[in-house]
Amino acid sequence: MSLGERETLSGLITTLIVSVLFLWRLSNQHAAGLFAGPDALQIWARSVLLLVAISIGVAIVVAIGFSIFHRLRTGEKGDDRRDERDRDIDRRALTLSWYLLSFGILGVIIDLVLGASAFRAMNLILALCGGSEFLKDAVKMILYRRAA
Amino acid sequence: MPRIENRIRRLRFDADEMTQKDLADRVGVTRQTILAIENGKYAPTLDLAFRIARTFGVPLDEVFTYHDS
Repeated sequence: MSLGERETLSGLITTLIVSVLFLWRLSNQHAAGLFAGPDALQIWARSVLLLVAISIGVAIVVAIGFSIFHRLRTGEKGDDRRDERDRDIDRRALTLSWYLLSFGILGVIIDLVLGASAFRAMNLILALCGGSEFLKDAVKMILYRRAA
Repeated sequence: MPRIENRIRRLRFDADEMTQKDLADRVGVTRQTILAIENGKYAPTLDLAFRIARTFGVPLDEVFTYHDS
């Protein structure tokens, strides 16, 4: 497994963990009525900022853990090179995820025009960010595996 | 549909059964990229194609051929 594949797989795992974390934390706060008041967006933003910081930590732990697990399981050091195929796969996956994000944000703006609240819009944008990140890594994994 | 075919597997065999890893190290890419090229799943850049040809000491068109089908 190349460095690009390993990074993509650990990225997928990180996205899944972080998504569950975000969903759990924000839905708990929503159930507790924290987002009912006039300062809902500020409370939401503080939570999201905290979760972003935690997510960076999760990403580092998963990347290191996955690298150790891979080495122990396969016994191979792995190729730590990135080459032109990695860059080609990155570009193709990034293009698709940008399409999702761009059209998604356009959809959110239309939703706002139709009367959706700013709070709903911010949550949709957050979900779109997670979704586009997941799509990018999923597409990369498919492209890597297709040639294997 | 145009298709690029290659003789890398054959050339490796003729070069003392050079492994994919050896070729990858010589041209500066991963073994997975060589595998993808051999299987026709990835078309290399002109730069990499020339490096592969040079490694085997043959002209480019002895490694890669272009077919209209």
